[in-house]
Amino acid sequence: MDLSLLKALEREKVLEVLHRDKILRSMEEDRIRRLKVELQDLRRRGAKSISRQYGERTCARCQKPLGRFWNTGAVCLGCSHRICGRCRVFLTRRFWRCTVCHAYREVKVKSGEWFLEERGKKFPHETAQHETIGEKLLKSHQRLGNISIVPPTPPPFQDVAKLSFSRSGNFTSSPLTKSMEDLVMSFNSHIRRISKSQSDLRADLLTVNYDRTISMSKSQSDTAISTAFILNKGPSLSNIFKKFKEWEQQTSKSLSSGALTDRDTSLSSGETRGSNSSIETDADSSGNPSVTGEIEIALAYSFNTSCLEILISACKNIMFGGFKQRKCHPYVKVYLLPDKSSGSKLKTTTKKNTTDPVFKETLQYSVERHLLASRTLHVSVWHSETLKRKFFIGEVLIPLEGWRFEDSSTKSPAWYPLQPKSDGGAVDQVVGLLLVKVKFSNPKHTSDSCSVSHEAGQLTVLVTGVQNMTGSKSGAAFVKGSLTLPGGQILSQRSPVVKKKSNLKWALQLVFSKVTLHELKESVLHLDLWDQATFSLSERLLGTARLQGAPSWQALQQMPSVWHSFSLALCTSINTRKP
Amino acid sequence: MVSHVLTLFSLALSQMASATDSRYGQKESSDQNFDYMFKILIIGNSSVGKTSFLFRYADDSFTPAFVSTVGIDFKVKTIYRNDKRIKLQIWDTAGQERYRTITTAYYRGAMGFILMYDITNEESFNAVQDWSTQIKTYSWDNAQVLLVGNKCDMEDERVVASERGRQLSEHLGFEFFEASAKDNINVKQTFERLVDIICEKMSESLDAADPAVTGAKQGPQLTEQPAAPHQDCAC
Repeated sequence: MDLSLLKALEREKVLEVLHRDKILRSMEEDRIRRLKVELQDLRRRGAKSISRQYGERTCARCQKPLGRFWNTGAVCLGCSHRICGRCRVFLTRRFWRCTVCHAYREVKVKSGEWFLEERGKKFPHETAQHETIGEKLLKSHQRLGNISIVPPTPPPFQDVAKLSFSRSGNFTSSPLTKSMEDLVMSFNSHIRRISKSQSDLRADLLTVNYDRTISMSKSQSDTAISTAFILNKGPSLSNIFKKFKEWEQQTSKSLSSGALTDRDTSLSSGETRGSNSSIETDADSSGNPSVTGEIEIALAYSFNTSCLEILISACKNIMFGGFKQRKCHPYVKVYLLPDKSSGSKLKTTTKKNTTDPVFKETLQYSVERHLLASRTLHVSVWHSETLKRKFFIGEVLIPLEGWRFEDSSTKSPAWYPLQPKSDGGAVDQVVGLLLVKVKFSNPKHTSDSCSVSHEAGQLTVLVTGVQNMTGSKSGAAFVKGSLTLPGGQILSQRSPVVKKKSNLKWALQLVFSKVTLHELKESVLHLDLWDQATFSLSERLLGTARLQGAPSWQALQQMPSVWHSFSLALCTSINTRKP
Repeated sequence: MVSHVLTLFSLALSQMASATDSRYGQKESSDQNFDYMFKILIIGNSSVGKTSFLFRYADDSFTPAFVSTVGIDFKVKTIYRNDKRIKLQIWDTAGQERYRTITTAYYRGAMGFILMYDITNEESFNAVQDWSTQIKTYSWDNAQVLLVGNKCDMEDERVVASERGRQLSEHLGFEFFEASAKDNINVKQTFERLVDIICEKMSESLDAADPAVTGAKQGPQLTEQPAAPHQDCAC
C-alpha cells in the first residue's frame, strides 16, 4: 500500500493524520512501558527466585512465614504459589488471585495486550501489523520525496470563523513540525552513534533481536507483555538501519569518486597522529576474540601536582593467539580517552617471555581534576614481537566519571579482567586509498554499447597501488576481490602476493569473466587488501574497498574496453565479513 | 524555497477545501489521565454522516455542510465508564471507494466498529452487508459492531424503515441504534454501548486466559492443588 494513488493535497492531509497518530501512539507506548516497569517491580519484590530459598512455608509474595495450623496460606490459581491471606485480591467473595497475578491482569487490560492476543489468534503472523501501518505510509511518503510535510493543524477551536486566522498565524512554530525535526535529529544521532561502532554488526544484532521479539509475542507467555514495547519500536529502528545502509552506500559512492567526506577525513587524520604500528594489528585482534587474563591497576590523583597517577602493577594469565605461549613479550599502553592522539599515549616497558608480567610502573597524566570526570582510561596489553609488530592481548576501559580520588581507599590496586577489543574502539576508519583500474571487455569487440549491455564479457580489475596508507610500510600484500552479482552470486578472485612498498607500482590483476554490463550496474565489487606477514603465514585484512553504484559502472558502460581509474577508500571494519 | 511556497499554497487550498478538518484536537490526545485506550472505527457509505456523528460526539458540534473525508482521520475523547477512565481513539474513515486501501488497513487495529447508514438513502443501507463482510475479513474475530441508522431527524425523507434496520442488525448479530448527529439523538448512547460491549469482550478474553477464573468455574479444582503451573504468570 502506498500513497502514490492519492493527489498531493490528499497525501498531505493523510500524512498529517498519520503524524498525529504517531505522536499519540508514542505517548501510549510510554504509558504502557511505565505500567510494565511497575509490574516488573512488583514481581521482583515478591517473586520467589532461584537466589532465594524456596520454602513451601512462606508466602510467595511477602515472604512471611506461614503457619502449620493457622494462616497456612493457599495456592493462587494464577501462579500456583502459596500465598498468605494478606497478599490476595478478591475478584468475588470466593475467588481471588495473588497480588502479582492481579497486577498482571490489570496490565493486560490497561495496555490493550488482551486485544493483541485476541487478534493474534486470527492473524498469528502479523502481530505488529497495525502498529506499523502508519510507519509504512510515512515511509512510502519519504520515498516519494517530492512533497513537503504539511504543517499540522493547531489545537481545536469551536468557532469556525476564528479558525482560519489562527491557523495561518500558527503553523510555523507548531509542535508537529518540531516533532518532525526531532525525528530527523534523532535519526541523525542514531546514524552518528552507529557509525562510531562496528556498524553492520550492530545493525544485524538489532534486527535479529527484533525478529526474536516477534516470535516471543506470539507465545502468550509472560515475557511477551514486557517485550511488546520493544516490538513496537522495532520497525522504526530497523527503518533507521535501512536508511543508514542507504546512507552508507552513498558515502562510499562519494568516497569512490575521490572526495572524502568530513567524517572520514577527520578519522584518518586522527589516526595518523596515533600509533601506526598498533593500528596495524587492529584487524588481527578482531579475528581472535579469546581474551583471558587480568591486569592489576591502581589509580590515584595527586592534588599537589595535578597529576593522574596510574600504577600498572602486573598482569597474570594473559594469552595471545589463543595459546599461553612462552614467547610473549607484553607491555601495557594507556590512553586517556577520548584523546587517542600520541600525546595521550603512555607505555610501560616490555617484559620478555612471560604471561604473568610484573611491571610496577607508574604512568602520569598532567590533567585538572575536574576534567577527569569526562575521561575514560583505556588500558590495553600488547605483545611486542620482533620487527616492531604488535599483537593485541586484551584491554580494560575504566570510566573516571564518579571516581572518588579524594577517598584514599580507591588508591589500592585492583584486578581488572581483560576484555576483547570493544566496539567503540574499532571505528570504521579510512586507512588509505586503493588505486584501481577497471576495464570491461567484450570478446566480440562491438562498439555499440547498447547491444553490449546484455552480452557476457569480462571485467578486469587492476590494483595499481595504495595511497596515504596508515599502517605498515613493509611486508607483502595481496588483494582478494569478490563481485556480488544482482542474483546474489559471488565471483571471487585472489591476486598474487606483491611486495608492499608504498611507492612501488603494483599490477595485481583480477579477472571476473562471464558478466554482463547489465548485471554490473547492480553489482558490488569488494576489494580486500590483505597483509601477509614477513615471518609468519598469518594474513591480516588491512582494509576493504568497494566499487558500486550506477555512476561508477556507468563509465564502464559508456566506454567499454577502456581502462577506468578509481581511487577507492580503504576502510577497516566496514562490515563483519570473515577473512 | 519553491517547495515551501507550494506548501503554503496547498495549505491555503486545503483550508478552503475543508474548514472543519482542523478541529481534530490535540488537547484531548495529550491527556494521560486514563486507565485504558480503545480504538473504534466508523465505517459506512459516503455521506451517511460518519464525520458529523464523530464531531457531535467529540466536540458537540454540527455543521450541515458536507465535506468529504480524505482517507482517514481520528479524534480522541476520554470518557468515564464502569469506574474507569477510557480513552477512545475514534477513527473516521472516508466512505469513498477510492480510499478503500487506506481505510481497510485500519480495521485491524480497531476493537469496535460503528457501521453507519443513512435512513434516507436506500443504497447506503444495501451496502451494510458488504461493510460487514469487510469487517469479518480485516478485523479480529470478536470485533464488536454497532449498526447505526443516521439522520433519523429527517423522518420526511426516510426510505429505510426502522424495522428493516433492526432485522438486518439481528441477522448480522450486531446491536442497533437509530441516531441523529444533527439533533444529537442516540450519539452518546451509541458510543457508550459500544464501549460497554468491548469491555464485556475484554473480560471474556481475560477470563478465558485466566486459570483463577476458569479453574474456579470447574469447581473441584478450587482446592489447594491446582492444575499444572500456568505460564501466564511466571512468578
